[in-house]
Amino acid sequence: MAQSLNDYAKNWFRHTNKAERIWLMAKIEFKLRYYENKMGLLWALMKPISDMVIYYFAFNVIMKSDIPNFVPYLFIGIIIWNYFLECTLGTIQILATKRYLYEYTNMDKLEIYLSVMLSNFIGFLFNLVIFFVFCVVTPVGLDFHLIFSIPLFLNMVILSLAFSLILSNLFLIAKDISQVWTIIIGLGFWLSPIIYDLSVYRSALPHFDYLNPISGLIINARAIFINHQMPDWKLLGFDFVYAIFFLLIGISLLKNLGPNASENL
Amino acid sequence: MEQNEDIAIEVFKLHKTFNIRDDNYNTIKQRFFHLFNPAPIRHLQALKNIHFSVKKGECIGIIGRNGSGKSTLVKCMAKVYQPTQGYIKLKGTMMLMNLGVGMSHELTARENVYVSGSALGLKISEIDKIFDQIIEFAELQEFVNTKIKYYSSGMIQRLAFSIATNARADIMFLDEVFAVGDQKFLEKAVKVIEKSWIEGRTTVIVSHSMNIIEKYCKKVAYLKKGELVYFGNPNTAIDMYMHDASMHIPLEEKL
Repeated sequence: MAQSLNDYAKNWFRHTNKAERIWLMAKIEFKLRYYENKMGLLWALMKPISDMVIYYFAFNVIMKSDIPNFVPYLFIGIIIWNYFLECTLGTIQILATKRYLYEYTNMDKLEIYLSVMLSNFIGFLFNLVIFFVFCVVTPVGLDFHLIFSIPLFLNMVILSLAFSLILSNLFLIAKDISQVWTIIIGLGFWLSPIIYDLSVYRSALPHFDYLNPISGLIINARAIFINHQMPDWKLLGFDFVYAIFFLLIGISLLKNLGPNASENL
Repeated sequence: MEQNEDIAIEVFKLHKTFNIRDDNYNTIKQRFFHLFNPAPIRHLQALKNIHFSVKKGECIGIIGRNGSGKSTLVKCMAKVYQPTQGYIKLKGTMMLMNLGVGMSHELTARENVYVSGSALGLKISEIDKIFDQIIEFAELQEFVNTKIKYYSSGMIQRLAFSIATNARADIMFLDEVFAVGDQKFLEKAVKVIEKSWIEGRTTVIVSHSMNIIEKYCKKVAYLKKGELVYFGNPNTAIDMYMHDASMHIPLEEKL
């Protein structure tokens, strides 16, 4: 009894060290990504803004779509999509690039994933600040509904982690998974309601708001931030089920394929 | 199982087989095109039925000729490789040191110290306390904020060694680490190893240097073609190794 209590205390102690370590690795990852060149963080902010300018020009100026508050509408879609993109396409080779972390000490591989998700999320938060600036300078404004973004972003992180786990572990047995994923994600961009009006999207691609796990995230983010409504709980619940389901697949792949990482890379 | 608590490493009937394909079909495209004629697989038995245990605080050596499975055994013990059969039980944190060194070349010495220290179970505040000590021991004071990709291999090795000894991994695997570093650092490293045994850490040394094995190891495992031929008294193991080696290469210089 005393022994098991002791073990429990030890585990808890380790656990606190774990959180600290994930944060440390996330900070270093963030620094590596954004402070390696002179422009630094500016690049991280430039990417979604330049994307937005392009789509704005194409869809609002040329094609004359009439979505109200198109700038914030577009921007929130783009930054959620980019977070998912960076967490998935950007981490396919994570087990190869970060092997120095797990091959020489008994660090849990999952910690490496969590630190990268966290690091990307810090980048996402910077983009979110710019989004808030857009909201404030346009008639959209900000209100209390933004607290509902917490479960939404949690959902976004879990889903990204799940796909990151699945893809990077499949990479161990199929090295061309990144080409396949590039095609899927390229198609996915156009099958998500990023640049379209929601009613057009729903009529053209019926059920895709439920079939595509990213769609729900973007739809609900717009409901919260732009329309100042409650999120669509049914859609959010649906997306959580998706995220958990894929996370379980990802973790089982990590458990089954992950231990052979060193041999297969 | 009378002194279960004292055992730091338990190697239980370990087998390790590498499946090597001559053509490495590891893309979806290749797998698809070669669905009906997969490349022949060769099974390379690297380790056969290895069974022993290391007590807490004990220092053991592993010797054997090139290709006898020493590094594979250490990698299995460090859980880098999955055993094909059998299992390994480790108690406590571990650090593996070999010529590859577990550090990112994109990070500075400072960042590597913090990441590795944390991976060994230390809190940031604890690393703060020993940070100067680690850098000083590695003699890298001027290069703390330099990315280690600009370091020489000796400098990297020194840093890794310094982290491993100062950050106190419970179990240390040293795979041919005495091959790198100049004489002065080697003496320092050996001193530290002597000291850390007194502090009761478990160490596994792989080396071709019989001097080091003879001097520091309480027990020695002699591997021959993936099999554990002998485990026990260092002198007996070294004699067996020397005897076998002299049969193959009569004039082999005694190290």
